[in-house]
Amino acid sequence: MDVLILQKDSIKDFLSSLSTDYLLWAPIEKDGDTLFQPLLDCNNNSPDLAHQAIIIKHSIFPQTEPLYSYDQNDQIQAPDAQDIKQNILFGVRPCDARSFSLLDPVFKGDVPDPYYLARRNKALLIGMACTKPFANCFCTSVGGNPCGQEGLDLLCTDLGDRYLVAVLSEKGKEIINKTSSLFIAAPAEEIKQGAELAQNAERSMKRRIDLAGVTDTLGRIFENPVWKKMALKCIGCGICTYTCPTCYCFDMQDEPMAKKRGRRVRVWDSCMYKEYTLHASGHNPRPTRVERLKNRIYHKFKFNVDTFGTFGCVGCGRCITLCPVNEDIIENLLAVKGAA
Amino acid sequence: MMNPYLPEKATILEIRQETNGARPIRTFKVALQNGQALNQKPGQCAMVGILRVGESMISIASSPTQSEYLEFSIMKLGKVTTALHDCEAGETITLRGPYGNGFPIAAWKGKNIVTIGGGIGQAPLRPIVQYILDNRDDFEQFDIIYGARSAGDLCYKAELFELEKRNDLKVHLSIDMADPDWKRFVGFVPNNVLRIKPSPENTIAITCGPPVMIKYVIHNLLELGFSEQQIFTTLENRMKCGIGKCGRCNVGNFYVCKDGPVFDYATLKNLPEF
Repeated sequence: MDVLILQKDSIKDFLSSLSTDYLLWAPIEKDGDTLFQPLLDCNNNSPDLAHQAIIIKHSIFPQTEPLYSYDQNDQIQAPDAQDIKQNILFGVRPCDARSFSLLDPVFKGDVPDPYYLARRNKALLIGMACTKPFANCFCTSVGGNPCGQEGLDLLCTDLGDRYLVAVLSEKGKEIINKTSSLFIAAPAEEIKQGAELAQNAERSMKRRIDLAGVTDTLGRIFENPVWKKMALKCIGCGICTYTCPTCYCFDMQDEPMAKKRGRRVRVWDSCMYKEYTLHASGHNPRPTRVERLKNRIYHKFKFNVDTFGTFGCVGCGRCITLCPVNEDIIENLLAVKGAA
Repeated sequence: MMNPYLPEKATILEIRQETNGARPIRTFKVALQNGQALNQKPGQCAMVGILRVGESMISIASSPTQSEYLEFSIMKLGKVTTALHDCEAGETITLRGPYGNGFPIAAWKGKNIVTIGGGIGQAPLRPIVQYILDNRDDFEQFDIIYGARSAGDLCYKAELFELEKRNDLKVHLSIDMADPDWKRFVGFVPNNVLRIKPSPENTIAITCGPPVMIKYVIHNLLELGFSEQQIFTTLENRMKCGIGKCGRCNVGNFYVCKDGPVFDYATLKNLPEF
């Protein structure tokens, strides 16, 4: 594995060179939030690209995506996958990079989803190591690492005035080769510095939970009163699902357009809403927030394990940080363990 | 890569009014405009849609042994089904599918079959009826138990009255509430099952109807000595994609659209929300 050094002064040149051939996404600060958006002006990016963006999955799995459109004569036209530009996602947190690895088997599945896979196959992920994990990060408890490499093509580690750049894939190597003059081989001293930062990051992780056996426990406590208590303060706003990098549920809706044209779009949906499962008859298999919150925890820590062999959670902590009523998935899981 | 979300267009050949009232049911006979058959198995479903309105997952009410057309019995309830009820013969709708596992009907060869339906729940059982009639020698005794709230709520009434006259199967119809013109059984479907007492010996029982009916039918079948593996049912849930991705139709870690809708009771009883 190649490990290189990129001076921070050169980051604009690096990104500019990429933006000609690729649609470049990066964390951008806007109105007090860090959003993951197309980087249109490389001179105008946020001074610290390492901020944790609120959401990143929309770069591969858009919040609203036309599946096809139809004209006044009902001629159906699907978008051409060829029109999707090569994407580079810059400043991806290792947890977010892992989240795509968890979404992949869902969208590959028995029936591959051409929309997700077209974007995914054309995406290159440049990671930013979390040398200073955020307050609610718990990636190490669900199999991740703040400086983990899973799913990434390049991983940058902030060394102050330089980035240490680990080259992790052939695709990553190719883009380095395009701008090879910006990079030098990393001296052993700085590789060691990067490794120390990674170790410190792992050690400094404040929130941890031992999840050994939690899937088996969930198999036994479906009817336990713990769920009712857990859901008491949930207001069903759904922000935990919208900002979750591993949530993928969607709705399909028809949108009218001018001249009797229209399109069928898929839009993110949330299992926290009662309409999500409401039958036309009025029957609802998950009628209250108790069943809905329970289903979310079961999906991530039992169903996903039963189906794909991994937790459906990367420990990014966004659902904790952004919940308006302080629902806390770690505390929820502790309650699950306590109910066993 | 094949696009699983793109529907095919289909023409409505004929519409039959099955029931009236606040929640009327119509059966739509349709054919794909590309001339192809859907090659579905009994018990499978399809996404029936109308451009500009949306799609609904509907069980296919006709048998694959009738390959020139498909039938869907649809209750007028929501946005899409109301729009479908506004359609007339000759109009175009959209179809995708078939979806789901279907009934393991090939494995039931040589067995007695009893279908137990309630209300619109007879629709997914109807392909079994047609399939067995089209392959009658492959099966032993065949019983159709079916009930609805009132005589006016019975689906496929004319068809079932015709089947009553045959001597190679038995039809046991019921309505919930007494009606002076009704000469057959009055009472709930689970009670009719107890009255008829199908023998569990070499028999497969398939039930579909309102959740509460399914619950008591299964209870009564177990009481009659049926094993959990001899009892099948077909579930429904709200669906959007049909291919196990959009998330909402899960029961435990099964998706009804893909892993169901057909489950045997041995599987079903271990699912948390049933």
